[in-house]
Amino acid sequence: MSLYLRRRAVNIVYLTLSWAATGVGLLILFLILWTLLRNGIPALGLDLFTINTPPPGSRGGIANAIFGSVAMTFVATVVGTPVGVLTGTYLAEYGRGSRIAPVVRFVNDILLSAPSIIIGLFVYELLVVRMGHFSAWAGAVALAIIVVPVVVRTTEDMLSLVPGSLREAAIALGAPQWKVIVMVAYRAALQGMLTGVMLAVARIAGETAPLLFTALNNQFWSANMNAPMANLPVVIYQFALSPYADWQVLAWGGAMLITITILVLNIVARALASWSNRTL
Amino acid sequence: MSDLSFATGGVRNTIKPVTAPRVQARSPAAVAETEPKIVVKDLRFYYKKFEALKGISLALHDKRVTAFIGPSGCGKSTLLRVLNRIYELYPGQRATGEVLVDGRNILDGGQDLNLLRAKIGMVFQKPTPFPMSIYDNIAFGIRLYETLSPSQLDERVEQALRRAALWDEVKDKLRQSGLSLSGGQQQRLCIARAIAVKPEILLLDEPASALDPISTQRIEELIAELKSDYCIVIVTHNMQQAARSSDYTAFMYLGELVEFSETETLFTHPKERRTEDYITGRFG
Amino acid sequence: MDAALNVTTRRRLDRQRLQDTVFRTTTQFFAAGVLVLMGAIVVALAVGAIPAFKAFGWGFLVNSSWNPVTEKFGALPAIYGTLVTSAIAMLIGIPLALGIAVFLTELCPPPLRRPIGTLIELLAAIPSIIYGIWGLFVLAPFLQLTLQPLLIDTLGELPWIGALFSGPPLGLGILTAGIILGFMVLPFIAAVTRDVFLTVPPMLRESAYGVGATTAEVVWHIVVPFTRGGIIGGVMLGLGRALGETMAVTFVIGNAHRIKASLMAPGTTISATLANEFTEAVGNLYTSSLFALGFILFVITFIVLACAKLMLLRLEQRAAK
Repeated sequence: MSLYLRRRAVNIVYLTLSWAATGVGLLILFLILWTLLRNGIPALGLDLFTINTPPPGSRGGIANAIFGSVAMTFVATVVGTPVGVLTGTYLAEYGRGSRIAPVVRFVNDILLSAPSIIIGLFVYELLVVRMGHFSAWAGAVALAIIVVPVVVRTTEDMLSLVPGSLREAAIALGAPQWKVIVMVAYRAALQGMLTGVMLAVARIAGETAPLLFTALNNQFWSANMNAPMANLPVVIYQFALSPYADWQVLAWGGAMLITITILVLNIVARALASWSNRTL
Repeated sequence: MSDLSFATGGVRNTIKPVTAPRVQARSPAAVAETEPKIVVKDLRFYYKKFEALKGISLALHDKRVTAFIGPSGCGKSTLLRVLNRIYELYPGQRATGEVLVDGRNILDGGQDLNLLRAKIGMVFQKPTPFPMSIYDNIAFGIRLYETLSPSQLDERVEQALRRAALWDEVKDKLRQSGLSLSGGQQQRLCIARAIAVKPEILLLDEPASALDPISTQRIEELIAELKSDYCIVIVTHNMQQAARSSDYTAFMYLGELVEFSETETLFTHPKERRTEDYITGRFG
Repeated sequence: MDAALNVTTRRRLDRQRLQDTVFRTTTQFFAAGVLVLMGAIVVALAVGAIPAFKAFGWGFLVNSSWNPVTEKFGALPAIYGTLVTSAIAMLIGIPLALGIAVFLTELCPPPLRRPIGTLIELLAAIPSIIYGIWGLFVLAPFLQLTLQPLLIDTLGELPWIGALFSGPPLGLGILTAGIILGFMVLPFIAAVTRDVFLTVPPMLRESAYGVGATTAEVVWHIVVPFTRGGIIGGVMLGLGRALGETMAVTFVIGNAHRIKASLMAPGTTISATLANEFTEAVGNLYTSSLFALGFILFVITFIVLACAKLMLLRLEQRAAK
């Protein structure tokens, strides 16, 4: 076979493999979504959202788990976002020329990809042991530790995109540094920073491992942050591995809810990011 | 050659005659038609190790427009940015020498930077409206140092916009974002923003270079009008603009002040060979 | 420029200076907090692990018995499982991810680039537990019926590597866990590699096409060598994730503290052990051994992630030039 034909054959093989790889990737996505919908839709109904987790054999829902997840996600976001934003601000605005800034950035990126079960272990040692019991506070703290690196990264990236001339214009009016950052730079980067928060929420919405040793689970409705609280991921974990069919149905319902929430958050966040890029 | 003399010749008629100029190209202090607002003495500027300004001395007069011209990299923007010490934002940049504003050396360590900058307004090459409403853009600077009642603030905002010849175009949309304006309008907004805080000095860094000819013309008209209240320093790479709009011109080359005199003199009877080469287009 | 400032202005200036200092210090405080957090995690894990290390010494790392009753604990099965499942995940994930990255940068019609790219990123956003239940209820039974018998009948007959594919097809086990992990890290590596491929200057690729190179040749001889550091960085980031994954693995690995030759056999990983046993652990030594496992996992992932970060930093610096 001539060299030219051989090269073409090799090319075709590689290209086919690339197409195939993408096909596999998309196939997995659709298979997972299909499974979730097929098994989760039967669980849909008013019960799912209004009744708490039942003992096996009775009618039930996952209302307490939904509440718990929402509550802990909310607290984690409220706690983690300011910490993340301020750290990201330091890296973008004050870190130029500093020797600590690259180290902080490095450590932050490692925390970003660190195993979340380790975070759970850490918060267990820090809070659960100290307090003597599991609690939703501990769960929220564990989730907050996961939120922080995500928000730091997006805040720093978005603030760096704000043109220097905008800052100079504010400084040239005699504005103090903090006003330049808060009233001009933050406003210019607002949409991007919001995207970062949404992505962080999407990330913690599905995290199970950190909650396993902190918030644990709760069979009943509880709004007490100082006690174990039901949450979707742990309920899914428990119910899916159980031998009871009705529990498994609830697990699928919860899994479908989580996945849809996360996908919607991701899509909206990305749409927001690209829209804000266009208006810049 | 002929093109330029046509330009300056045609322009000569539009320059208001500067009365009683006893022009000496190298010692502007003797000119003293108005008080020298800013006196620069032996200013040197360094980007890390690189000496960008090599011992500049000149005086900038109140209620007059002074233009800095020269080829790219000659240091004219650098010199401008020393005057409000905006270079301090960046590590590795420093200045030595003296810059006396109303007799006080602003390079001196005891100077409060924010206050200094509140008295010196700056407009940049690219329009930089803040991501806020038109009203808030103007009010931002005012609110920094003055507490005014809402009606007083409204008045100040309107005053600034009128002065910048923008009021009629935006009076019905003050709450809209500053980013919704056209390029020329945005730049006039930035000028309005700068004059709203009642500075004493205005620094303009190539304010019209990013704009179309019509907007450029309006900006130049604006500058001619504002001159009666401020000491204006303008950096421009457009020689015709300098010749049209300024009273004094400084020609800079590679960090040195080559020649400084009244605009009319510099463009018609330049004393230095390099100046003549530049204004006749032999280089730059 | 009056030398005499009136009182209100002076007070205002002082207040501004104070506000500036407070704001700046606050940001510095939280930035330092990130470093403190990392340190605290290391310390907490180490402190929790000390009793186990004191009791077992280095033997902890190579001992394979895990018996809560006799209180004899060895980390080897967990470490083995962690490493092997991650290795399988890389074997599956890397080629697929590279294929997807090549597709997105060279082959995909431009209007489809953004949507398909987003779909891949969505795949990366799906949480671990969803992969876990999908693996348990869909993939494992499927493999049990198709792939596993196939492997046992073909590769299982060969000498040497046959041992890897022996035993009854259970569906659950190390192989399945490795495959699920591969599916999990694949979109992540694909996204990073695609971003890395996009840093290649267009002129470089165009000149290669210009001399008549095929797409495969451009990728293999131009793009990959140029971004080599970035690809390795992305792969190592994926590896870091795979090592620490918990829920996807816990559902399908079978949870047995045993090392068997066959990949079809059930096993365990560090994170799966922690997830399964931590809340029920009684006794100081048991808990401490689990902490010790966590400490080991943290050290392994830290090293992998740090190396990945360094490689990516180097690529960024090169691209900036």
